[in-house]
Amino acid sequence: MLQDQLDKLLQSILRAHEDGMDCESCNAEFECLAEQVAAGGDIHALLPAVEAHLTCCSDCREEFEALVLIIRAENGGLTSQLTD
Amino acid sequence: MIERTNEQWIADLTTSSAGQTQALQDLRERLQRGIFYYLSRERSDLAQLSTQELTQMAEDLAQDATLRVMENLDSFRGDSRFTTWATKIAVRVAISDLRRARYKDFRLDDVTAEDELLPAAANLNNHNPLPNPESAAERSDVMTKIDSALREALTDRQYQALEAVALRGVPLEVVAEQMGTNRNALYKLVHDARRKLRTSLEAQGLSMDYMMDLFQD
Ligand SMILES: [Zn+2]
Repeated sequence: MLQDQLDKLLQSILRAHEDGMDCESCNAEFECLAEQVAAGGDIHALLPAVEAHLTCCSDCREEFEALVLIIRAENGGLTSQLTD
Repeated sequence: MIERTNEQWIADLTTSSAGQTQALQDLRERLQRGIFYYLSRERSDLAQLSTQELTQMAEDLAQDATLRVMENLDSFRGDSRFTTWATKIAVRVAISDLRRARYKDFRLDDVTAEDELLPAAANLNNHNPLPNPESAAERSDVMTKIDSALREALTDRQYQALEAVALRGVPLEVVAEQMGTNRNALYKLVHDARRKLRTSLEAQGLSMDYMMDLFQD
């Protein structure tokens, strides 16, 4: 096991939270939460359980970040300039 | 494109009429723009693709996403904008597709408890020569304990899943597919594995803080 794998393993164990929201229940919160975060809301204050899941689930994190990114771009009129 | 309220979206999408065709087209175009933005701005792994290729990709993904939205229309609760909910589905479709493509050669069976650990423990010390031989011995001792905890506390399945997901960074859904399970069940399996490992290490007197300190240079 290489140093960086060991770090990853330890980090991953360390981040395993106790209350355990799963991917499905996390995903169910996405649309409301993403709108609030895109508008400047703080995920930690809004839904700490989702934040905890996103910290230890990179699949959900990647999807949530993409959703927020797109909503922000839409709100800023950026997506309509791209295709016709 | 006309702006619709949530109620108008649902009404237009569910009533067979010219309005439905228009609403489907509007939805698909909106999703396509969002996906294209994501692919072109956020995915450095796709940087070698031309605008035309990205456009085609976004178009195909938006088509799939629109179908998925229609299949799941009943589950829209109405507590966000309809388009946000639809975009969530589109993001999932797009990212899943990208993950499958990226990990198309990954074989979970290549991840086994047989390799890596112990020989590599020696490796770790070779690569990081320490001024102090006591810390080297301490590290090597802890590595051996982590190694046996991985083998003894976890089932083969948990071991494979944990190594693939936590160490190699393989997406849950790629691993889940090869394990014949779904992502949510796999998340729980990996989560249990992490906690079991932690408990096992702590039972041997190895706190997380201690190990982080020991291996951090
Ligand atoms: Zn998740």
